[in-house]
Order: sequence, then structure tokens, then C-alpha cells
Amino acid sequence: MAAKLAFEPGSSTAYHTGDWRSQRPFYHDKWPPCGQTCPASEDIQAWLALASDHQWEAAWHKLVARNPFPATMGRVCYHPCESACNRKHLDSAVNIHAMERHLGDMALAHGWAHQPLTPGRQTQRVAVVGAGPAGLSCAFQLARRGYPVTIFDAATEAGGTLRSGIPDYRLPKSVLAREIGAILALGITLKLNTRIGEAICAETLREEFDAVFLAIGAQRPRLYPGDSSQHSVMSGIDFLHRINQGERPALPKQVAVIGGGNTAIDVARCARRLGAEVTVVCAQNPHGTQLGQPGAEIPSSQQEIRQAEAEGIRIRYRTGVRRLVRSGQHLSGLEVARVDQVHDRHGNFDPKLFEGTEEFLPAGLAIFAIGQEVDWSGLESLTQAPGVVLGGDAAGEHRFAVTAVGSGYQGAMSIIAFLTGIPPLREHHEKAEITFKALNLDYYPKQARRGSETAQQRIDGFDELVTGLADNDAEEEADRCLSCGVCFKCDNCWHFCPDAAVIKKADGYEIDYDYCKGCGICAQECPCGHIDMERLTA
Amino acid sequence: MDKRDAFRHNVLTSGHRACSGCGEAMAARMVTDLIGPDAIYINATGCLQVFTTHNQQTAWQAPWIHSVFANAAAVAAGVEAAMRARGKEMPVVVQAGDGGTFDIGLQCLSGMIERGHDVLFVCYDNEAYMNTGVQRSSSTPHGVRTTTSPPGRLSQGKHHLKKDVISIIAAHHLPYAATATIAYFPDLKAKVEKALGIKGPRFLHVLSPCPLGWAHDSALSVTVSRLAVETGLFPLLELEHGDLTGVMRLAEQKPVQEYLRLQGRFKHLFNTKQGMEEVRHLQALADAHIRHYGLLEADTEWDTRRAMHSARHGRGGYAQVTVSAPREVKNGG
Repeated sequence: MAAKLAFEPGSSTAYHTGDWRSQRPFYHDKWPPCGQTCPASEDIQAWLALASDHQWEAAWHKLVARNPFPATMGRVCYHPCESACNRKHLDSAVNIHAMERHLGDMALAHGWAHQPLTPGRQTQRVAVVGAGPAGLSCAFQLARRGYPVTIFDAATEAGGTLRSGIPDYRLPKSVLAREIGAILALGITLKLNTRIGEAICAETLREEFDAVFLAIGAQRPRLYPGDSSQHSVMSGIDFLHRINQGERPALPKQVAVIGGGNTAIDVARCARRLGAEVTVVCAQNPHGTQLGQPGAEIPSSQQEIRQAEAEGIRIRYRTGVRRLVRSGQHLSGLEVARVDQVHDRHGNFDPKLFEGTEEFLPAGLAIFAIGQEVDWSGLESLTQAPGVVLGGDAAGEHRFAVTAVGSGYQGAMSIIAFLTGIPPLREHHEKAEITFKALNLDYYPKQARRGSETAQQRIDGFDELVTGLADNDAEEEADRCLSCGVCFKCDNCWHFCPDAAVIKKADGYEIDYDYCKGCGICAQECPCGHIDMERLTA
Repeated sequence: MDKRDAFRHNVLTSGHRACSGCGEAMAARMVTDLIGPDAIYINATGCLQVFTTHNQQTAWQAPWIHSVFANAAAVAAGVEAAMRARGKEMPVVVQAGDGGTFDIGLQCLSGMIERGHDVLFVCYDNEAYMNTGVQRSSSTPHGVRTTTSPPGRLSQGKHHLKKDVISIIAAHHLPYAATATIAYFPDLKAKVEKALGIKGPRFLHVLSPCPLGWAHDSALSVTVSRLAVETGLFPLLELEHGDLTGVMRLAEQKPVQEYLRLQGRFKHLFNTKQGMEEVRHLQALADAHIRHYGLLEADTEWDTRRAMHSARHGRGGYAQVTVSAPREVKNGG
């Protein structure tokens, strides 16, 4: 520091008060908890910031950089981001789920198109097996980067479990179809009715393409082991598949659904819409009763359960099936009993039933939604081959649609790393976390959350239940984002610096360390914890 | 001329010798940047004058003159009359501390207002004589430890109450008088701009915490001034022609202890029974302010929570940054 002598005439700026400093402020972007929690690694804070500036299309582009299904996920995602949102400690979490849907719906209404990241075209060809959320997400990421991609799927239409497993009242087929259309418009080839391992042999596929992404999903239902007769018993995904094909089967008066996942709840709500009285039999406990042990709580999302109960579905918690009660072939009901422990001592799901607590639960149809397995037949040789990446439900991760989208992105990055020989860049992870305590709450008045939590309950049809946000509600909801750890240019540091040592620039602020005395007011009054103080040692 | 910042003039620029975290430097920087460089600033003796003009160096980037302690308002009256005589029109602004306003400068200030001079008088109130080493003034609240009101066996700090200067000023029935503080920039900005739009004598009383004399962490200057308002000890008011025309409503009243506990100048109160009595007395004074000015039920656009809402892309900036020559105005009379 070339400070002049203190007594030369002129401007005081000749005297550098920065010499007095014993601590130093600096701007430091943090990584907000919403984005950390998102299984698809969306930069949620960034797209909410663009939305709050009314740059809707830019917000959508920022969002789809990691998730090309905003309208779909804005309807079906279990939104762990909102559970992590710091705002929940202030009033209630930002309605990120509804905001995502709003952006997705806007894109469909305005016909916004995905943009390729590079103008150049690559020559190495990639095959994607399975046109579900993982496969489409992977194909989308590769196609944006110029790779020619071909997707193979055994079904007659693309979408995977999003199409066959989610009822219309949660996700209208047209929304899914249009989002898939926008992805395919990047120049992706889609080959339907083509089962790899049958129509094309696995080895041929590996030879014809430079890399393969294998996202075949978990399609084979796990069956109830204790009953050899399949009469009046079916699996949850088969049931949903039939409903999603447009079938409306006649059901007996009473239906029992066994399982506690989202599939079980979807099955129960569909059966309710077909006029049955539905009881869900689930081994786990209700939400919020097993603190610190979320594995012992019902896995389906709280919102789904609220809606199911509002529709008149009974849920029997901590209950397991002892046997099916039949008179001849006819199913008269289930013998259920109270569950002792949900997991065995190794942490595996293995409910033990208490003796003497048996009850009879009348049911003319038992639908088992107790999980699915991956059907590897014909593909065994691929799983170990070089240049083949597994993803989605088949990779054995948590089986949520949004996890599949995230694994599609990771798969695409692994494939590019394999094809180019350059390891993928790890982004974000060097950034510090930001907790609620680091925020200055004086600057965030309470604001009511926008959007209806419980939709109007109708059980007479399969029309969509939840409505989207109105435009003005979306604007206000985007403004509720606390922008944890990321500067939103509120000017506080600039206004409050007593030494005019914070300089405002067109795109942010700069600290003039020639004059900063290190008082710490800027860090103290920064609403979002973007400014850190660092002690200086002599 | 320092032109580092494209978005404000920095009428009070860097390199001044105020202590780290000085509330008065912050307040003066805000107020003078809101007024802009096209004004004449008269500064009474006090911290602000001492730390901005040190050994032939000045932190001021606008016309600035130092008067003696007592007569800043009289000097301003003369400047304003001279400008009028020469047919020039530009804001004439006095800046003084609480010593130069409540105590030593009060007579000249009263005279200036009584004669109706077109002057904005800004008092930066840090509640004691800080630059000479923290001596009590008539602005110091009671119970405060200063070097001339030391607490001990017979005393709990200053015996006498803080002078209600805004009522004294308002009794002159001047066009505009207001209180403000650094914690609420949009409120301060609105009041400065309102004052600039009015002709005649105007008075602005800005509470400016002093980390040295109040003995709080230098990072807490803004927080402390916010608590002064939220507890009711320093009500934010607007008075026009002697009548109360606006207040900052309190979204919630905070207990005075939250304010007192942050400051070393009140620390002794929490050690003794007599001290706790003074704490209750300060609480009663805050309650009296709230009742008197209706701070909890006033029908206003702002309240202390809403005024804090920090919006994306800021809550307003400063006066025009381009430095222009003083405007020549044809003398009408």
C-alpha cells in the first residue's frame, strides 16, 4: 500500500485507512440448501432469481439445464428442496414445486425451444436404452452437446414409468408428451417397439454405438410370496399400466392395497376413482412420528397421503399381511396383523408381525405395490461392458422420477468423459453450505406462501386435480426466495459502509481494501449471508 | 476528485479518520449523497468536522465550511442570505452533532428558524461529546456511563433525562422537522428528499450510533440504531408546522433490554438493584413515547418490518452523480 504522508494537502483519499484493519470482509457465493438437496442438482435459487426479475424464459433455460421436465416434475416430484428450504424456519418454504410447474407450463404455452450448448456436431454415436425420465434426460444432455443419440424403448410410446405408472389426475399425458416432444426436437432419434435383447441383440448394439446408456427401469413387480393362486390378486404397476392405457376395470366393492410407496397411494386413488372402498395396508408409521428414523415412516409423500385421506381412503399403518383368506378361488379378504419392527437388525425391510393381533380385512381384490425388480434378461452381457453406463431405477438408486432425471445427467457426463477421455468437472461442491443462522432475518418480513396446498377433491374422474399458480402469484412466490448465500444486489453493504469502501458496479459490488477499516457492518447487515469476515494475522 | 463509484458522488469520500463502524460517518455519507454535491455544507465543530478534515486533507467533495461550535446555524443564515443577494439558488445544509444542536448551538439554531432562513439543519445525534472523549451532553440518555457521568456507589450514570429537542424545534412551527436513523435507508431517503422539496427552515434529527462511546461491537452500529427505534426509545417522526404528520409504526415493540444489553455504556445497570430500576425507568420512557406518538396503532404505510424488506436490486440510490456547475437562477425579486 503506497499511502502518502498524512499531512499533505488535498483529498483525504491520499490516506489509506485500510491500514487500520484487523479483519477483512469478502464476498463469497454459497450453495443454497434447495439446490444441494435436489436429486437433479437444479440451481433452484438461480432460476427463482431470474423468475423474480420476470425473465421467465431465461429462468426456464436455467432450470432445464439440469431437468428437461419442469412441467412434469412440477406435478409429480416429491420436492425434497422444499423440506430443505431455509424459509420454512421463518414462515413456510418457498413453493418451488409450483414455481417449477409454472415455468414448465409457460414453456409449453409459449413453445419455448431447447437450445444446443455447442454449434458443433460430434461423430461418436450414443445409444440410450429406455425412454423413461433417466434415458430422456441423458439423451437431452448429450444432444445439447452435439452427440447423435438414438433411444430404444420396448413400449409403444415414450415416457417410461412417467407414462405407465402415473395416473392422469396427477400428470396429464399431453403435458408429458409435449415435454418429450421438445426434447426430441433437439434431433434425437427415437425407436419404439424395440426391445434390446430381443429385436436387437445386446452385442450388436454395443458394436454399433460408441457408448450405451442403460436405463431400462424396474419393470418386474415383486409378488406376494405366500399365495400361488393369482386370482383376485394383482400388482400395482400392472394395475396402473392398465388404467393409463385407458382401461376402466370393474372393481369389487372393497379393495386392499398393500404397500406404502407412491405407487401404492396412486393405486389406491385410482381404485377409489373407480368406485371402490379402499384400504391401504402399510407396514410403516405415519409421517412425523419416527423422528430421526425416517425409514420407519411411510415412504409416500405427505401431500399425497393428505390428498388420499381427503378422498376417503383408509390407511392402516404398522400393519402387515399374514395370509390371503380365500373360499375356494374367491378372495374374501386379508388376515392382517400389527407390525412389531419394520426393519431387521441389519436395516433391511423385513416387518415382523405380532402374534395374537390378527384381524380380518374384507377385500375382493388385493393389489400388491411392494416394489419392483429390474429385468436384465437379454442384457446381461452389457452390464459389465466398457462404455456402458447404468442409470435410473435400474441403477438401484432411490426410485423417484427426479432421481432418474439426475442420474440421466450424471450418465451423460460419464459417457462424455468416456468418449473424450477427459474426466468430468465437479461443479459446486467446493462451495460452503449456508444455514438459517447465517441469514439476517430482520430483512425478510413474513410473506404468505402462494398456491393451494390441498386441491379441490374430486373422485368422480381422472381429470387433473392440482391447478397451477396464477401469474401474479408466481411473481410473488419467486420474490419469497431468501437467496441464501447468493447476492441479490440489495445495496445494503453499499449503503451502510461508513467509509465509502464498497463500490457499486453494474454487475455487483467491489470492496476497496485501501479504505476498508474492517468494521464488519457489511457482513452483519447482509441479508443472505453472502459476505464473510476473515481475521487478519499480523 | 474521487470518482470511483459510478452510482453516487461520494460527497463524503474515503480516507476520513472516523473510527471503524462509525454511525455518524455512515449517516453523513447517506444524507450528503442524497442531497448531492450541488449544495453548500456548513459544519459545526464536532466529530464529523474533526475526522473529515484532518491536517490539510479533506474528505468533502462539495463546498464545505467549518464554523465554530455555537454558530453553525448563524453562518448558514448568512450564507443563505448571501446566495439570495447574488441570485443563486442551491441547498444550504448545516451539519452538527448533538453538542452543536442540543447544547452549544441551540440559541443560533432557534434564531435561524425564527427568522425563516431557507436552510436544512441536520443533527447527527450520537448522544455525547465523543471526539473529546465521551463527555455527557444534554442528549445523553439517563443511566448512561460517560467520562463525566461515571457510575459508582452513588450514581447509576447520567442523572438527567435526554432533552426532547424535536419538541423544542417543533415549537417553532417550522415547515418540516423529522427524526430518522441509519438503519432505515428508504425512510431516511424519503425524509431528506421531502425536506429538499420544502422552502424555509427544516430540521432533520438522525440517530447515529458510536461504537466507541456506546461501547458496542463496530459491526452492530446499524443493528443498534434499529433497536433504538424498535424499542420505542427513539421514535421516527415527521412534524409539519408543529403538528405530528407521520410516524414509523412499530410492527412489534421490543423490550429495551435488547437494546441496552448490546452496549457497554449501559452495562453497569445490570449489576445492581438500583441499576435495574433505571432499566425499568428506560422501559417506562419507551412506553411513554409509544403511547404519546401512537407508535403501535398509527395508520401508516410503513412499519418497522416492512421498511426493512430488502428487495432485489436495491431500495433506491442517491442524487444525480454527474457533477454540474451551480445553477444560475435569475433573481426574481
